[in-house]
Amino acid sequence: MSRAGLPVLVATLFVVGVQLAILTDLRVAGVVVMAVWLWPFAVGLSGHTGLATLAGAVGGLCVDAHAITPFGLSAIIGVLIGWASSRLGREGVGDLESAAWWVSPLIGALIGLLAPAIYVVLGAVMLNFTLWRGSVFNVMWLNALAFAVLARPAGYAARLVTQLVPTARR
Amino acid sequence: MAGDRTRRRAWTFGVAALVTLTILYATVGVESGVRRVINLVVAPFSWTVNELARPIGHLFAGAINYSDVVAQNQKLRYELGQADVRLNETWAFARQLQQMTTQLHVPFVGSLPVVSAQVTTLAPTSFAATMDISVGRDNGVLAGMPVVANGGLVGTVISTTPHGSTVRLITDANSSVGVTYKNSTSSIVISGRGLNNALGASSVALTSTLRPGTVLFTDGLSGGLYPMGLPVARVSAVNLTPGSTTYDVAVSPTADLSNLFYVDVVLWEPGT
Repeated sequence: MSRAGLPVLVATLFVVGVQLAILTDLRVAGVVVMAVWLWPFAVGLSGHTGLATLAGAVGGLCVDAHAITPFGLSAIIGVLIGWASSRLGREGVGDLESAAWWVSPLIGALIGLLAPAIYVVLGAVMLNFTLWRGSVFNVMWLNALAFAVLARPAGYAARLVTQLVPTARR
Repeated sequence: MAGDRTRRRAWTFGVAALVTLTILYATVGVESGVRRVINLVVAPFSWTVNELARPIGHLFAGAINYSDVVAQNQKLRYELGQADVRLNETWAFARQLQQMTTQLHVPFVGSLPVVSAQVTTLAPTSFAATMDISVGRDNGVLAGMPVVANGGLVGTVISTTPHGSTVRLITDANSSVGVTYKNSTSSIVISGRGLNNALGASSVALTSTLRPGTVLFTDGLSGGLYPMGLPVARVSAVNLTPGSTTYDVAVSPTADLSNLFYVDVVLWEPGT
């Protein structure tokens, strides 16, 4: 974990850079695709729980630092996504080679659909009820679509990054 | 031996983290301090990605949209000419209005100084309608100051750093603005419903004379959040639900919020 952590950390910061520099301007119906949630999902599918949660926490915190929404909320969602997808990854579900091609896009779509909803619910728990007022359903289905399309490319990128240090333990 | 080294490293890291947090807490508060540190770490990565992506984006945009850009340029030149004419025509009226509002002791936006700023980033999530701009405390910008652009009120400064500020757009779900309109003696509160959604107007009495196309201005009430006379929104529809005692009014911002590149911060503090 510690040796592969650095490449994943650097890659996560680049994903944050993409999120801030490109995706915030590429809005569809006002919706931003959350690459900082897609990345821990992809890392998680490769079975690295520690790395996936690290990617989720760092990416989420970096986005939270640039937003006025409750600080740490995106990071919590990122960690949850990383942890959940790594559980699946350890079981070989969504593996890029052995599983059917549609499995990882399907899981990606489900995560993209659920993550914004959980975000809004957790926001309400933190007494921020205004998150409901936006177009939550638009955010959900557009992220689901984007996660489905990008799940496999992101999975290959995650595999590349996590294998940069061959001796890294899972 | 290795265990000792690991323990020493952990202690050093822990003490460094504690000292950093203490300093942050004592100086700027933990959360804003953490935000500032993270922004500092992320900035080079955002900059690198931006520098790499911009030429590619421009290449595609230029190849696909060249004729649109030429047409837009011609239209802008025409509109600039029109604006010049209107500016000359309204100068006398503005002066008159300024004199009147001075006598009434209400601030008039035409007489207030502004600071121009570049929009640096939009909110990175879909859950808040904010943007960061390139001027901050060092330029005299303070939290609460109104921001205008593209023909109307854009939002309010909610936080500042020495060289930058965060602006909450009027479409943000936490935003509300008191407005009035021509020949009206009452105020209406319009509030944001999230980015890319229309604004909402609450409790518009059946006696009101609102019509589609009516422009709503900030009311400038004493102690209010905005100076008088900033155009905020235009009424797009006025509907009456059977049995209701108020109108259901749909309004859209007068400023084009989807194309914000430069804005003006009005150097006016709430309550002044």
